[in-house]
Amino acid sequence: MKDAADQLDQLLTVGAMPTARPKLALRGVSRHFGAVQALAKVDLGIAEGEFVTLIGPSGCGKSTLFNIVAGLLEPDAGGEVLLDGVATSLLGKVAFMPQRDLLLPWRNVLDNAILAAEVEGRPKREARETARAMAADFGLKGFESHYPQQLSGGMRQRVALMRTFMFDRDLMLLDEPFGALDALTRAMMQRWLLDIWSRYRRTILFITHDIDEAIFLGDRVVVMSARPGSIKLERRIELPRPRDPALLTTPAFNAIKRELLDAVEEESLKTFAAGAA
Amino acid sequence: MALLRLAVPLLLLAALWEGAVALLHISPFYLPPLRQVLGSIYAFGPAYAQAFLVTLGEATVGFVAGALVGVVSAAAFHHARWLRDMLFPLFIASQTVPVIAFGAIVVLWFGNTLLAKAAIAFYLTFFPVTVNALAGVEAVDPRQVALLRSFGASRRDIWWKLLLPSALPRIFTALRLSAGLALAGAIVGEWFGASIGVGAMLLAALFNEQVVAMWAAILAAAAVGGTIFGVVALVEARLVFWRDEL
Repeated sequence: MKDAADQLDQLLTVGAMPTARPKLALRGVSRHFGAVQALAKVDLGIAEGEFVTLIGPSGCGKSTLFNIVAGLLEPDAGGEVLLDGVATSLLGKVAFMPQRDLLLPWRNVLDNAILAAEVEGRPKREARETARAMAADFGLKGFESHYPQQLSGGMRQRVALMRTFMFDRDLMLLDEPFGALDALTRAMMQRWLLDIWSRYRRTILFITHDIDEAIFLGDRVVVMSARPGSIKLERRIELPRPRDPALLTTPAFNAIKRELLDAVEEESLKTFAAGAA
Repeated sequence: MALLRLAVPLLLLAALWEGAVALLHISPFYLPPLRQVLGSIYAFGPAYAQAFLVTLGEATVGFVAGALVGVVSAAAFHHARWLRDMLFPLFIASQTVPVIAFGAIVVLWFGNTLLAKAAIAFYLTFFPVTVNALAGVEAVDPRQVALLRSFGASRRDIWWKLLLPSALPRIFTALRLSAGLALAGAIVGEWFGASIGVGAMLLAALFNEQVVAMWAAILAAAAVGGTIFGVVALVEARLVFWRDEL
């Protein structure tokens, strides 16, 4: 059991060194749906091991951007998505976690967690062993054979995250994973995610509506403009890590929040005005 | 516990039957006493057992074939839109032909074989299964499919790991419904000249005005239907254990 956990650590901590070449680079990525333009020339780079959070007004094309990075949508011609400097189909190369946990009710915790690994063709037994070793880290020890219906919202979300971590990719895409949770559970999950991230060290692109969450988690916060979405602002967050909840009330945190809030509100007003017109 | 839940209403019904016949002086021509019907079944035990098994066999073969064809059709229709546009109207048209007319043709083709009755049972079974399986597959959350695709899943993976299990609750709804239909199909098939089977017994009793034998045949038919339904319900409870918890 100990050996399996060690092996797992090795497996999951490779590639923590930052490199000059970005892990993921978007260059001039646009996307139209018929006459509607969802994205306009998005340029974004994410370094290896970096935790980037993305905020923007609703309807700004965040989901479109996510689907493109997950490989589920193609960008319009002219745009490029590079993974490790190579333009390639991203389907199956990015660990993607949607807003809803989307757990399968006929699979227990372990079997839900190994779904991606199973699709990749890993032997079930071996994948289950890995999952069993990870369960404690994800606060699921003792719940391995429970079914999703028997779990709380926070636990279900952790199973979904474990499934995403088990899909062993350097780049993880999290789409408002804590959006449906109550405030207390949410705050706990944020700290827990930072802890997991510092141990497993993956590159993360995290989408959220919540400015506090964006600042608290990110190395860098990216603000998107109203539709058609593009990058309005990028703000490096130099708050010390590990971060704890007391950070949320410091002047440094509030200064950053003020700055980002202005940017987001300006864009939200544009969306609102466009809707009213 | 489940057995008890099943036994209580059955016993109540039996008591009601016996009680009503005795208290209201119902003529045995309309409703013979239950113990007389059971006595007749007991007296001709082997004959009823044979009829039960023959009809059960016919209905089951048609039922299983119908279930398989229904699920496979739903899979094909889901994956190939053109196939669905081409064949689905034919499926619907087939259901507008009355089962009696269809039965006559099938018996002409296959003669008095198990296959003929199974074909009629099949004819009544495959359509509800196709429709429900298709509805179940189409009701799957597209975000769920997107998630599997992001893992690099093939269409085959998506079918086996997501679409089919998701559709199981609806498929089983159709199977429960079809259990009775398959039995009706087998009985109609027997009416075209079969000499063994519950349907054949029913017809013989009717022609000879043997009211007790008629009721005995009806009970035997109910036993066949109940058996198929019971097996379906058992398999469902094992396979779709998560249904109630959704």
